[in-house]
Amino acid sequence: MARRLVLHLALLGAGLAGLRLAVVPAEVCPQVTTAQVSHAADEAAAWMVRNIQEDGSYLYGYNRDEDEVSSQYNGTRHAGVTMSLYQYAAVAGRPEVIATADRGLAFMLGRLVAEPGWQAWQPPGEGVQLGSNALLAAALVMRRRATGDPAYDDLMRGVGRFLVAQQQPDGRMYALWDAATGLAVPVAGKFATGEAAWALTLLDSVFPGEGWGEAALPTLHYLAQHRDRDEGNFTRMPDHWAAYTLAEAGPAALDQVLSDYSRQLAGYFGIRLRFEAQRRGTGINLLLRWVPGTPAGVGTAGEGIAAIWRLAQEDSRLADLLPNVEERLACFAGIMVTRQSTAAEAAGFPRPGLVQGAWFYRGYVQMDDVQHVMSALLAALPMLETQEVAG
Amino acid sequence: MTLGLLVAAYLAALNVARTRLGVPEDERGRAHPAVLAGGALVAFGVIAALAGWSGPLLRSLEITSETFRIGAGFVAAVAGGVVLAVPRPAAEPVPRGWRAALWPVAFPLLAGPEVLALAVATGSQEGLGLTLGAAGIALAALLTLGFLPRRPLPDRVLVWASRVLGAVLLLAAIWLAVDGIRDV
Repeated sequence: MARRLVLHLALLGAGLAGLRLAVVPAEVCPQVTTAQVSHAADEAAAWMVRNIQEDGSYLYGYNRDEDEVSSQYNGTRHAGVTMSLYQYAAVAGRPEVIATADRGLAFMLGRLVAEPGWQAWQPPGEGVQLGSNALLAAALVMRRRATGDPAYDDLMRGVGRFLVAQQQPDGRMYALWDAATGLAVPVAGKFATGEAAWALTLLDSVFPGEGWGEAALPTLHYLAQHRDRDEGNFTRMPDHWAAYTLAEAGPAALDQVLSDYSRQLAGYFGIRLRFEAQRRGTGINLLLRWVPGTPAGVGTAGEGIAAIWRLAQEDSRLADLLPNVEERLACFAGIMVTRQSTAAEAAGFPRPGLVQGAWFYRGYVQMDDVQHVMSALLAALPMLETQEVAG
Repeated sequence: MTLGLLVAAYLAALNVARTRLGVPEDERGRAHPAVLAGGALVAFGVIAALAGWSGPLLRSLEITSETFRIGAGFVAAVAGGVVLAVPRPAAEPVPRGWRAALWPVAFPLLAGPEVLALAVATGSQEGLGLTLGAAGIALAALLTLGFLPRRPLPDRVLVWASRVLGAVLLLAAIWLAVDGIRDV
């Protein structure tokens, strides 16, 4: 009998150990203060400012282990980084970065295409795209929030009209415009639809009563109900831009379908961040959870959960999510603050200025890595401040 | 999770039919009442302890209750699969007297890994009251089954009931895991 008991207990123990290692490893969430989060955002913005080029383009990517600067470029990411710099200026109250962001803006303004009824920018070597123009519009809105300068109001409306011109009756957005035919090309962009919906709601915040918010709603419904099937996604896409749009639109604009969509998105961002908190990138955890995720991937989950937090503050239908959302957002901030390259770490590499303040994935950083994490940290700050005040 | 679903999950995890097959019986073919009641009480105590301390336990292990539901679903799925493959428990050597309530009734028949995991998962999510209510109902069903003589409950019926409860456990496992994935 004793032998059978020992056998059962041994099986139970081995099962529990396997469960702990493979299925539920510890979710480690470093505690950080708002000052640390604020400093991390400052360092990220400083990385962008330090590495802007003469022509207004940014450092696209850098491999610190090979000391190799990427020769690639991407217009949508350029617009995204510019937007995040204005966002930083507005949220963190740092007007000194506006000059740098304006150089990034000039890079886009020098490549404007004007068609009857709308304006758009065309990145070098790329077509006229929905996503890059949505983020140009978002950048201009953030610039206006940071400066109050109405100089680009007409351009904002012009780019907004381009976005609306790409919109189809069912709310979907075509991701390209063909200069040869003068028509929208019926292709979907992975993130472009959400970016466009967000840009339209942002325009509504600057120009209320002009119909921008109403224009965003069919696309928001399309994202909630049809996009994943149309684009052949196996699961619902955890679209942080959609979350931004829902938060910007606010509870009054959200029917039950969109409220349910917000809840589903919160779940996707939540599991992404819980999984990330389990990653150590060493020992047996490396075999079971692989290396910590790409900063852009983790950052977008952070942006998404922060947007849901903002929405849930105002929407009683989502109030029950708040405790978990806050826990995930605080965890995200703790993880990414501790993963950021410090000045001391950067000093060990050939070009410390390309390392300090950035987040690397297997030795490589790309401009959108820094952008997404910085935006998410900025969005986490109000929640962390509230928690600190509450003790 | 409603009380009905919780009861179904505990009936399946405690697998009253499979447990009944393994409980020592008296000469009239009924489960030995003191042994069965004692084992059920011990199992209930273990469930109460795990459910009651699920919060501190998960915090000390640095696992969120949402993620633990995925783990509990995994454990329950494996256990459900085992039950479907082996619906009759192994014949264990039975000690004399009250010790039989601890071995093999409380462990391994009742407080198996799926019950332990379920207790922590439902304790942290649904609360102690609902968890104890559901586990109590399932154990009461087991006691009722135990006091019935074996004549109306031939092995064949219990084996099939065990399989059905294994399938229910599998469904509950999938539900738990999906719920843990979809939650924030």
